[in-house]
Amino acid sequence: MNAGATKPASAAAPPRPAASVEDAPHIAGAAETAAGTGAGVPAGPTPTTPPAIDITGLTVRYGQVTALEAFDLQVARGETVALLGPSGSGKSTVLKAVAGFLRPTAGRVRLTGRDVTHEAPNKRGIGVVVQNYALFPHMRVADNVAFGLRARRVPRAETARRVAEALEMVGMAGYARRYPRELSGGQQQRVAIARALAIRPPVLLLDEPLSALDAALRADLLGELQRLRADLPDVAIMYVTHDQTEALALADRIAVMRDARLVDLDATDRLYRRPPSEFTAAFLGAANLIPAQVVRDCADGAGDAQARVGALTVPADPARAFRAGETAMLVARPHTLGIEAAGADGTLPATLTGSQWRGATYRLTCLLDEPSGVEVRCDVATMDGVPALGQPVGIRLPADPCVLVPTGTQR
Amino acid sequence: MLVWSRSGRAFVWALFALVFTPVVLGPLAMLVIAAFAGDWNGVLPSTWTTEHFRDATDGTNLDSVVVSIQTALLAAGIALVVGTWTAIAARNAPRPVRRIADAVLHLPVAVPSVVVGLGMLVAFSDGPLLLNGTKWIVIAAHAVLVVAFAYATVSAGLDRTDQAFADVAASLGASPLRVLFRVRLPMLLPSLSAAASLALALSMGEVGATIMVYPADWRTLPVSVFTLTDRGKVLLGSAVTLTLLLATLILLTVVGLLRGKVEDRRSH
Amino acid sequence: MTATATVAAPAPNPDPPSTAPKPGRPHAQKFVNSLWILPPLLLVGGFFLYPLALVVKQSFIAKDGTVGLGVWRETVDSPQFTDALWHTVKIAVLSTAGCLVLGFFLAVVLAFVPFPGARLVSRLVDTILAFPSFLIALAFTFLYGTAGVVNAMADELGAGQPLVGFLYSPWCVIFAEVTFYTPFVMRPLLAAFALVPRDRLQVAASLGAGPWRVVTRILLPEAVPALAAGGSLTLLLTLNEFGIVLFIGAKDVTTLPMLVHAKGAVTFDYPGACVVAVVEVALSLALYGLYRFVFSRTGAARAGVVA
Ligand SMILES: Nc1ncnc2c1ncn2[C@@H]1O[C@H](COP(=O)(O)OP(=O)(O)OP(=O)(O)O)[C@@H](O)[C@H]1O
Ligand SMILES: [Mg+2]
Repeated sequence: MNAGATKPASAAAPPRPAASVEDAPHIAGAAETAAGTGAGVPAGPTPTTPPAIDITGLTVRYGQVTALEAFDLQVARGETVALLGPSGSGKSTVLKAVAGFLRPTAGRVRLTGRDVTHEAPNKRGIGVVVQNYALFPHMRVADNVAFGLRARRVPRAETARRVAEALEMVGMAGYARRYPRELSGGQQQRVAIARALAIRPPVLLLDEPLSALDAALRADLLGELQRLRADLPDVAIMYVTHDQTEALALADRIAVMRDARLVDLDATDRLYRRPPSEFTAAFLGAANLIPAQVVRDCADGAGDAQARVGALTVPADPARAFRAGETAMLVARPHTLGIEAAGADGTLPATLTGSQWRGATYRLTCLLDEPSGVEVRCDVATMDGVPALGQPVGIRLPADPCVLVPTGTQR
Repeated sequence: MLVWSRSGRAFVWALFALVFTPVVLGPLAMLVIAAFAGDWNGVLPSTWTTEHFRDATDGTNLDSVVVSIQTALLAAGIALVVGTWTAIAARNAPRPVRRIADAVLHLPVAVPSVVVGLGMLVAFSDGPLLLNGTKWIVIAAHAVLVVAFAYATVSAGLDRTDQAFADVAASLGASPLRVLFRVRLPMLLPSLSAAASLALALSMGEVGATIMVYPADWRTLPVSVFTLTDRGKVLLGSAVTLTLLLATLILLTVVGLLRGKVEDRRSH
Repeated sequence: MTATATVAAPAPNPDPPSTAPKPGRPHAQKFVNSLWILPPLLLVGGFFLYPLALVVKQSFIAKDGTVGLGVWRETVDSPQFTDALWHTVKIAVLSTAGCLVLGFFLAVVLAFVPFPGARLVSRLVDTILAFPSFLIALAFTFLYGTAGVVNAMADELGAGQPLVGFLYSPWCVIFAEVTFYTPFVMRPLLAAFALVPRDRLQVAASLGAGPWRVVTRILLPEAVPALAAGGSLTLLLTLNEFGIVLFIGAKDVTTLPMLVHAKGAVTFDYPGACVVAVVEVALSLALYGLYRFVFSRTGAARAGVVA
């Protein structure tokens, strides 16, 4: 049910975000004029409501180190965008700049059209959950959750009501009198979320909220986060993670980051199914990348494109326009590949070099004969009929055309 | 991460400077200025001279430098041996003994230095151990005053080092003496050098007990400074104080170098 | 520790004779181990506890050899003594309060609103801990004396001489002690602040708390153990402070240590000096007990309080 819950959302969300990706500067400009002219005329016919979070040209440098370079991203009301990328790619830096914890070297941050780039974090009204929760150790759970409300001088009765409500929401109602040290990691995590939610922020930033938890607990809390998402239809969420499962389960869109830059941004399912770059294909779902030759000129998504791998010519789904003879990468996810006897018709000849039992599947590694030295990973349900280690095998590519991405990193 | 606005930060820093400058920087600067001042009637001296500084490192003042350094070395040495010995021995003693040793060795911190001096006068002015009138009464008083700090530092260092190392060494057949000199003390080296530095610095600056007990031929630098300023020679007093700081700095640097040398030798 | 070592040692030994240790050997071992502590304890006893005991004894023996409470009555009744006691306590308490406020402010800025050079300043603060206290007093005579820099500066600006007599007032002593002892409060505070995760402050800010609220609600509670430990140490040291008062040399600011010095080393009234000393030691010991209590409760040793 949980898995199903995100699908409609991701199907519904793309139109607007997709447009904003393509014409980011244009939209940003429109939003600015809308905010500028529409001030004081709330009923005025604004063409688009400004995005909940609007980041343009954000650059952060620490001396010589560039932590973030010309970063653009818009997050609509009610949308979840996951920031995905390897360690040190600048994900947390984006979040810190949006929350106001650091002052960007260049660029703007707007929240529903209001420029907050130089505003102090305590004036922004954003909910933030960090990796280690940062619960205040000398306050009880209830006081932790009430902290933001007291800072806002919310009346006492109202505070109590909203604390109870926030704790209820994360299933921690019975723990109000405890101190943080008397809670498990998962419980602390829930309190941290409740504390961020109590101030009813229009924007919620989560920085690797599950990374300090063990695998089973992480799966549990992922389900809870999905439920929470459904309970908060108007909140814009930015979710930093380097775990693709979390990104796939929660996000409407995924922004892939690398070396301080945004490399790819698209609706979750599209990014997974048709990754536009080698890096994203490998990072999101650990796809195999098999070097191939483009057989003839083709456009983005051309139906009749073909690629040659070794001696084999296979149908392909080009992620951009390619010219004949160009070298590109075929994207093949391990579970879509099959292992057959060596020399079987329409298979790639290879040598089996390793196998790893993973419970539900076996992960096989093979070295292609041609192009030689390319390692291919392949998940199979059974070892029946699989030759012994060191023996030649045939690798069967999936029946659907594989996505064809340009070689090298996209810069 | 606490004050977010630029103006707020500027305000906090201005306040910091406003507090920090007179409280810390001012006095230090004054001392240096005074040590090199010739005529001083306005805000700053009108003429400068190195005469005071030359006086401060000459004649009776030079004697005081030597006396101070000798006292500090002896007192710190005694305190270090006694403090380390007690700290290590206390660890192998039964709990009640350990607590008593801990209390007794910490106690001098709580007793005013003048009272320690008075005690020395009362106890060692006659009887079998006649120290009054000799340099040993000064050294003993200093040793008593700094032993608590040496003990506390070494003891804290022992708390941080793992008993398991000594246990493993013993299980490998090392005699207690070998364990002490080959395992325990080398691992304690950082604490030992910290304790030595602290003891030296405290002894170099000690006035309270010294002024109670010092004999005429064993006058430490702080006492010299006091006699000078008491007679109105404040500029010379400043120069002597500066000499005292320099001498302390040199002693501490030597301790640091020694420690580095021992560590170097060990790493080869 | 000893117990586990001696008990555990024979167990893994495969040698039959030694698997059955002689009964009583652990006891004997323990006893021998205890003996090692005797030499240093005897030294400290002989040179510290014994003189201290003699001081107490001497306070009951008048100069003419009569034993009794005569000296006590005479000394305690003198206005000089009550004055000194009052001054000592007042100076110590006010100085400590000043150190706590100032030290907290300076440490918060150094730790959480750092500026270029903040680390250098921290190092400087550490260095001051190694300086003798009379240095401050000496510097103060140049700064705030009647012919000092501040007066000269004010004079040049046409504001007269605002600080005439300040140098010899108790306030100057308090100011000097605050100056000298503030680093003693800052050091444990900085150690404690180094352990506060930065994201805790960031999250507090994102929840809407301004700087003042973060300081009072988040930092102050975290700093309480360090403040308590640093504060009681400072109170102890200021109660016993002698160098600063001596060097400033204010005629009407007499403290208990000054009185001990005056009676013991100037007028050679040993019994009287001993009475004052006993009172002073009792006062310090009471405080010291408190300090050790706080210290053991908060584990301040690890926070770097031990000087
Ligand atoms: N205060 C700082 N000073 C200098 N460099 C910094 C600072 N903070 C971050 N960086 C650098 O900026 C880059 C981006 O850091 P960031 O924390 O955003 O990475 P991240 O994507 O969140 O990584 P992770 O997944 O490990 O959390 C890194 O290369 C980091 O070394
Ligand atoms: Mg991060």
